[in-house]
Amino acid sequence: MLDGLFFAGVVLYFFAMILQFIGVSFKREALQKYAWWLFLAGFAASTAYLIARGIVAGRVPMSNQFEFAAMFSWGIALMLIILKTRVKADWIVTAAIPMVFLVISYAAFQPRGIKELMPALRSVWFVFHIGTAAFAYASFLLAGASGIRYLYTEKQDKNNPILEDIDYMTYRLIALGLLLLTVTIVSGAIWAEQAWSSFWTWDPKEVWALITWLLYSIFLHLRLNRNWKGRRMAIFAIAAVPIVLFTFIGVNTLIPGLHSYGAVLPELL
Amino acid sequence: MGKKLWSFFTSMKFGLFLLGLIIVISLAGSLIPQNNEVMYYVREFPDTYNVILFLHLNNVFKSWYFLLLVFLLCLNLVFCTMRQAKTARNTEVLPEQFTPSVPLKEQEAQAIHDLLKKMGCTADQNGTLTRYTKQGIGIYGSFLLHFGILLTMVFWALGSAVPKIIDQTCMPGESIFLDDGTEIKVDEFSIEDETGRLDYASEIEIILSDGRTSGKKRVSVNHPAAMGDYKVYQQTYGTKGKVTVTDGDGHADSFYLTSQDFLSADGMNGIWFDDLYPGFEQKENGALTLITNTTGSYENPVYVFVLADHDRNEQMLAFPGDSVTIDDLTFTFNDPVEYPGLRIKKSPAVINLFLLISVILLTVGLYLIFFQRPVNVLVSEDGYTVIGRNEALSLELKHALSKGDNKNA
Repeated sequence: MLDGLFFAGVVLYFFAMILQFIGVSFKREALQKYAWWLFLAGFAASTAYLIARGIVAGRVPMSNQFEFAAMFSWGIALMLIILKTRVKADWIVTAAIPMVFLVISYAAFQPRGIKELMPALRSVWFVFHIGTAAFAYASFLLAGASGIRYLYTEKQDKNNPILEDIDYMTYRLIALGLLLLTVTIVSGAIWAEQAWSSFWTWDPKEVWALITWLLYSIFLHLRLNRNWKGRRMAIFAIAAVPIVLFTFIGVNTLIPGLHSYGAVLPELL
Repeated sequence: MGKKLWSFFTSMKFGLFLLGLIIVISLAGSLIPQNNEVMYYVREFPDTYNVILFLHLNNVFKSWYFLLLVFLLCLNLVFCTMRQAKTARNTEVLPEQFTPSVPLKEQEAQAIHDLLKKMGCTADQNGTLTRYTKQGIGIYGSFLLHFGILLTMVFWALGSAVPKIIDQTCMPGESIFLDDGTEIKVDEFSIEDETGRLDYASEIEIILSDGRTSGKKRVSVNHPAAMGDYKVYQQTYGTKGKVTVTDGDGHADSFYLTSQDFLSADGMNGIWFDDLYPGFEQKENGALTLITNTTGSYENPVYVFVLADHDRNEQMLAFPGDSVTIDDLTFTFNDPVEYPGLRIKKSPAVINLFLLISVILLTVGLYLIFFQRPVNVLVSEDGYTVIGRNEALSLELKHALSKGDNKNA
């Protein structure tokens, strides 16, 4: 039943993505509307799945690579819905749905077993630290989607007035991501001090979070002070997505450290 | 030349250059395992270990050049912070002579006035010129961010250098005595809570050298206990075997067992303790296989020892409650005892407090920069000018004008 809800979300996102592409390619607004409804249905299934999993596990489902990826894709979907409905940024939908699908597909390949939360993760900072990380990464991925849309629109028509809006949205999403990543790093440092006595240990995950933070900071400096806008901003937002994904996935799976999944570090409990 | 060099070292460009170098070094530091023995690098990186060791890439975050970069970044931040403070003050000054950067038609000026009023801006009329302002605190965002980063780096460095850290195990009922006379008394330790869930927790009391005491405190993972400048963390745990030795007169004494302990009355006959295992598995043919690793409490602990009884040396297994007698000594194996490994940190609490304030400052600064941009617009009948940098506002004003155009069309 639980798995059914999860895969319903994956399938609905997939069909939403395909329908959206067809709708945009053939300029069929009705199809785009259906795609959006499918996407919302996928979001509803994902939301129901996460709630149900949380009830079964007796905690917020964010403790392993699968749960974090599922939450991450949910975060991107939620932000996309806000962008479309509140900010009226319809133009981001085509590029953003694949981001949601990409992350939830990654989750689908991860082990889904529910395990008891290890003592080190039982902290008031757990939800805050990981929740802000999920939304920070979601902002950066949506900024990448916005960058893709910018380059596509620019290729079609260099004088399209919407380019300015897209560029500004990319900037805002990066700014929001940076703020949330700051909160993630700070809350993680406070949590680390509570758990292991040290705010910062140069663990690979910490280092990559710092690298991501520094990269986006450098770019925002260049935007605010050197007016790096438009095409440069879009290219940066897209180029930074693999770095964000490596910070999220690569570090946990490829480099041993405190954030490694499956690694047993009994000396750290 | 000197002036040029000084201006470069205090510039944002140099700051960004330093950040770029820090990124590159951090990349190396995250990919090459840090702080291992030299032989580890010789073994794992046979072709490049000499480069790694020469460039201190095995401990890159403490290398002289990384610390130098961080120091230069701190200096750069000091100047950046000063410049930001100056800019913040200057932004408040209204230009004496107004020349609109965006010219307006009469109807358009009204749309701009309406929008700014709708946004809740404060209007300040000066002849034909109106100044609209909102979120004045936003101008301090950049200053707060840079100042916050600077303080964070300083207090983080202090917080890393000052603390004295001691890792020590302690059996329940015993105490750890520190050099300054402070005592950490461990009353109890448990690996599981009442529901059987893993929850490493110690019941401790911190008694400072001046006699002040923390009272009974529970220390568990994520929940350290603090008293004075001391903070005690639940760090590790272990399980020790325990044996009670009773002589022929009925006198009994208990000992914790460490591998290779030899318990004997005459130095010849007794038991050589080998190890304590968490459990065992029995095969169909009756043979026992010992389990060497477990998480949590030992479910079926097994003592392995060598019985040295005159001419007989025999490896034996025993379970809690079992006894062996050699001459007039009886060795009774007890239930193993679980004990905590504690981390004791001595650090002035004020450093952590300042560090916390610093990160709050930088976070608030970041929020102000991006989400509370100050609104400072001068509007006349001829046009308007947005003072300072506020992309959201510039876009909104532009949209207001295009809406007006659409209506007129």
